[in-house]
Amino acid sequence: MNNTKENLTGIKPILYTIVFEIKKQRKKFYFFSVIAIIIAVLLGYILQLIPSFLLSDTQAEFFNTGLQFISFLTLFAACLFFSGIICSEFDKKTGFIVFPKINKYKLILGKYFGNLSLVVAIVTIYYFILGFLGFFYYGGPINIRFFYSYGVAILYVIALSSFVTFFSSFMRSVNLTIISTLIILLIGFTIVDQIVTLIFAENFEPLYSLAYLGSLITGILEYPFPDPRFSEFSFSGMGPGGMGGDFTFGQWVTPSIAAGITLLLVFIVVYFVLAAYLFKRRQL
Amino acid sequence: MKTMIKDEEKTMMKIQEKAIPKKPIIDRSEVVIKLENLTKKFGNLTAVKNINLEVYRGETIGLVGPNGAGKTTTIKMIAKILRPNSGRILIRTNHSELQDLAKISRTISQMGFLIDIPALYNMTAYQLLRYFANIQNYPKDKIDQRIDELLERFKLSEWKFEPVKNFSKGMTQKIGIIQAIIHDPEIIILDEPQTGLDPLARVEIRKYIRELQSQGKTIFVASHMLYEISEVCDKIALINYGSIIGFDTVENLALTLKTSELNCELLNSINASELERLIDRLAESLDPYLDKNLDPMISKIPVKYYPEQQGFKIFYDGKNESKGEILKILVKEFESDFTVVSFTQPKTSQLERVYTEMVKDNDAKKKSILSGGLVKNE
Repeated sequence: MNNTKENLTGIKPILYTIVFEIKKQRKKFYFFSVIAIIIAVLLGYILQLIPSFLLSDTQAEFFNTGLQFISFLTLFAACLFFSGIICSEFDKKTGFIVFPKINKYKLILGKYFGNLSLVVAIVTIYYFILGFLGFFYYGGPINIRFFYSYGVAILYVIALSSFVTFFSSFMRSVNLTIISTLIILLIGFTIVDQIVTLIFAENFEPLYSLAYLGSLITGILEYPFPDPRFSEFSFSGMGPGGMGGDFTFGQWVTPSIAAGITLLLVFIVVYFVLAAYLFKRRQL
Repeated sequence: MKTMIKDEEKTMMKIQEKAIPKKPIIDRSEVVIKLENLTKKFGNLTAVKNINLEVYRGETIGLVGPNGAGKTTTIKMIAKILRPNSGRILIRTNHSELQDLAKISRTISQMGFLIDIPALYNMTAYQLLRYFANIQNYPKDKIDQRIDELLERFKLSEWKFEPVKNFSKGMTQKIGIIQAIIHDPEIIILDEPQTGLDPLARVEIRKYIRELQSQGKTIFVASHMLYEISEVCDKIALINYGSIIGFDTVENLALTLKTSELNCELLNSINASELERLIDRLAESLDPYLDKNLDPMISKIPVKYYPEQQGFKIFYDGKNESKGEILKILVKEFESDFTVVSFTQPKTSQLERVYTEMVKDNDAKKKSILSGGLVKNE
């Protein structure tokens, strides 16, 4: 009985922190919810009203088109919600007030889950609108792969959140964390992926890259699942200065479902554990 | 007749007792905070060096020192915000055994902290205080009442549901103090609690600290404001270059001084024409008790008249017996010249001088060590 009571007392600060964090970030949540609604409605409804824009043949294709922006939305949401999760306590010195009151592990867990619930809610809103529009245009039932995609999107946004939290644990300021994580996630991973593919082609799959793992969100919608997952495009022509010839450009389309999900889970745990450890060690 | 006077005196004393909360006797058997050889380094800089300090239950300790002396660093180590390089901090809560703070994984909910200028999350005062009370396990059903009570006490009731970003510096400081005591801790540690407060608010804080003292709380205050410290603290720890250079009551610290000062307030001001002659006479009569080696930096003459204050400042030899003799002489020998209405030893200026002198001594020692090349050995 006493043990249960102690455990409950131990969890309570985390729960209070989750609720507090949700209240604290509510303005950001409203903003991103509006953005999510606008993008979903724009891609899923307004574009279909344009006569020259043909409605996709199947519900899965419709979802695929609608989900093209989901990786950007999740990326920006994760960066803006999680960039200040740790470093703001040091940067803005709020840690002086809160660190003596609550164990740092409990604080980071509370803040992490508080922000995560909001980011997941934003993704859910987006999927809900898209799902509703898919049902509106194509009737029921909704393609099961849409729900798989939703599951992967949730895992992806959690992995992004852990990644940004990790950066926040050692960065000096919130702005620096936002800029650096955005650059790495938007440009860094893509450039490295392309270089790696250029050098190793199908011999090395860029499974280290969060951006690549994110392609499973739309990849999982395809039926049958892309096989082979590495595709090559060849083209020929004259280049500048008389240079010309045949060019082959390779690209990894999507990771396998098992590898993608496993790695997303690994990234979630590894980045979060590292972030929590660094946070615990960091002094104000 | 005598009985009547006694009764009146008793009634007066009772009224006074009600006005000023009675401070409970300090329990000298129970150390609640013990700092043992506490050291903190930032690279090559030693911010806190071998600090040893014991704080008893119910005691109010003032930590005084110049900027960068190590006050806030010491407090941060007690709050577990910084890890000491060596030494340890022992804490006793709920009359348990003294425990090494480094070995306690949980937070010490019986302690309340105000560190530095409070930086608060941008929420309303109510949301913030409720959250802080909640995470420190303050009884849920009493939180609202406690918040109301404290906001009322600090005259912030009207601001309860306002975001703290709209608060002035002084109001933020008050919220900082409230958050430190919201969960009614046994030990309260305040770093510069009077920063940013207007004089009226400072008086309020002082009053509140006295109230906390009357509840038997152990209080640790770091401040530059010597007056505030001397008014509320039982003992004062003087810190400079990260070391404690003096730790005692103001009175005992003053004994280490070669000189002490007395303020003597008069009923009427002295005529300018008579002043010089009167001061000469005073200096002659009080000569055996005056400070013979008065530091010219403090004053060039041992008896000085201040027309604005309508009184004398007398620098005496610091002996307790001398004080009585000086008073006798002033009252008896100078009865026809002036009437003494108050005769006090100002705590603040005493503390200021103790502080200045100790810091000066310490600086001189440092310099001599440096010139002697002993620093290499350190």
